[in-house]
Amino acid sequence: MKFEKKRASTKQNIPTASLPDIVFMLLLFFMVTTTLREVDVLVSFRLPEAKAIEKIENKRLVSYIWVGQDGRIQVNDSLTQLNEIQKIMYAKRVALPNVIVSLRIDKSSQMGVVTDIQQELRKASCLRINYSTLLKI
Amino acid sequence: MITLKKKKLPDADIPTSSMADISFLLLLFFLVSTVIDVDTGIGLTLPEFTPPEQQELVPISKDRLAAVLINENGDVLLNNEIIAIPQISKTLKPRIESKIDQPANKKLVVSVKTDRKTDYNLYIQALDQIKDAYFQVRSEYAINRLGKRFVDIDDRSEEMKEIRDKIPITISIAEPEAIKK
Repeated sequence: MKFEKKRASTKQNIPTASLPDIVFMLLLFFMVTTTLREVDVLVSFRLPEAKAIEKIENKRLVSYIWVGQDGRIQVNDSLTQLNEIQKIMYAKRVALPNVIVSLRIDKSSQMGVVTDIQQELRKASCLRINYSTLLKI
Repeated sequence: MITLKKKKLPDADIPTSSMADISFLLLLFFLVSTVIDVDTGIGLTLPEFTPPEQQELVPISKDRLAAVLINENGDVLLNNEIIAIPQISKTLKPRIESKIDQPANKKLVVSVKTDRKTDYNLYIQALDQIKDAYFQVRSEYAINRLGKRFVDIDDRSEEMKEIRDKIPITISIAEPEAIKK
């Protein structure tokens, strides 16, 4: 009598035909949700911490102003002077009426520079601001 | 006799085995370049700019106003009493609560004023305390009067509107003292 090895009659390879579809789906998801990093931050800053904070839901509305430890101000891609902020921010405000200005200011700054920036923003009528902070744990 | 054989066409298919690899590569690129972290911070609306000559003084009654003054040493003056920053929330809370059922023009206005040399971090801490007081009152209102947690209430629902009407967050950033350097 001859013994035969028992073998499953089904094929043993994993069907990979739909793999690209799955991956493309993931890819599309990330492409849609991504907002690419647009700028290099040229100033060094450490954000203050706070508890009662809110999230900014819509990232596309946000426009940033950085103030570094040494008091330098960066808007968009380059360092700017205080008196130029109004012009730049007004142009932004025209392009995007409900722009939120996120102020990323170093925690060792003094209020003087903050107030000056706020005055400039008011002149440019960018009234929605957000003091960027980290969550205090 | 020669039999005429039909020439067999080669199979015309595109090799798709590397498709997955290519799309994985793209996927990885987007994964790496995606910024996941959400911006968090303290939101505020600035008042509109009016030139000094057009400014009008609107008198606000004493019991509506909570004036928070922070000087360059980090001392806080709340309605002429010296307190520490962590006490702001506790001091403000009863005052916000007492105004819940008042009409809109009698709600509390918190005015924050700083010195040009005040530390930015202290200012944020104070602002945080004020916001915290408001959030506490709001969430207690949600629990006691609406029977829901504040975080569970939808942003566009009637209940949220009610809370916003009853407990509006009015923080006024006072103009700095006649901007002098």
